[in-house]
Amino acid sequence: MKLHRKSVLRFFRGYRTQAPDREGILLKKGARNTSYQRRWFILRGNLLFYLEHQADHTPLGLILLENCQVEPRLGATEPYAFTIRTPGGEGGRAYRLAAENPEELRAWLWALAGATWTRLAELLRPLEAQYRELCQAAGQEPGSPPEDCGSLAIPRTLFSFQELHEHFGKEIRMLQAVHRQFQEASDNGGSRSPTGGGEAGTQQLC
Amino acid sequence: MRYNDKELQALSRQPAEMAAELGMRGPKKGSVVKRRLVKLVVNFLFYFRTDEAEVGWWGGPKLLEHCRVIHEEPNSFSISFLEDPERKYHFECCSEEQCQQWMAALRQASYEFMRRSLIFYRNEIQKMTGKV
Repeated sequence: MKLHRKSVLRFFRGYRTQAPDREGILLKKGARNTSYQRRWFILRGNLLFYLEHQADHTPLGLILLENCQVEPRLGATEPYAFTIRTPGGEGGRAYRLAAENPEELRAWLWALAGATWTRLAELLRPLEAQYRELCQAAGQEPGSPPEDCGSLAIPRTLFSFQELHEHFGKEIRMLQAVHRQFQEASDNGGSRSPTGGGEAGTQQLC
Repeated sequence: MRYNDKELQALSRQPAEMAAELGMRGPKKGSVVKRRLVKLVVNFLFYFRTDEAEVGWWGGPKLLEHCRVIHEEPNSFSISFLEDPERKYHFECCSEEQCQQWMAALRQASYEFMRRSLIFYRNEIQKMTGKV
């Protein structure tokens, strides 16, 4: 199935002046070549782009994040490794990625877990309903969100307790898994610990 | 730009936000109207001929970001993309009501629109209740 590349590339380029949800270096294992390649990743909405270089005009590739499973990968050759598993039955892929340090790993896991359209819709639905109820109770005509992007700053910190609870719940499970990996690594005499990682990494996660 | 074909196919088979048979016409002058099953899944628009999502003359499933939805004649609307506003994809519905439903759904399908909405509702609720 051919994708309408133009609409995706326009979205990618059009937003170059607007900060993405997350971007940075990740190591990516090739599909055929089993070595890790350094790539620049850009997360916008439910799309994860990867580029050979940060300033490239066209991404090397695109990963659709709907219905993906994102999880840390224990026992990988790279520390701070994680997998994005995409649906598609037998045709689905497991993208093997790795962050360069524990902070990056945690930040990416967080960002990717919350990136889907479906999840955004789930957050939006009750809020919209609550707003309409409040308007009705106040005898007020409900307003509409702005059509235009404008220069709306998106405060990523202002989440309700419910959302934080849900989000941190996921993050805690992931971090526990990663933490166990580091424990094992240092228990094994640091044979698989990253240089300068090991103990320090574990402490930071605590 | 590489992507996994199967991911896109899997998406096209997901339960749709909207699905209906609509008349469609491409951007070129003199294009013929074709009736197709059109499916809105998250922020992507697919169309199908039989079971397989088709590509053909309209270039494949479209990402609905930075997309302008315009009411054309009665029962009809068009979509175009911000950087190419002259290139319109036309849709014919069987009623004005269906037309309005699709227009609203397409506008609200954009991830960026949903994000703005989240902020808008949160702010409004806070104003009205004094609580976050």
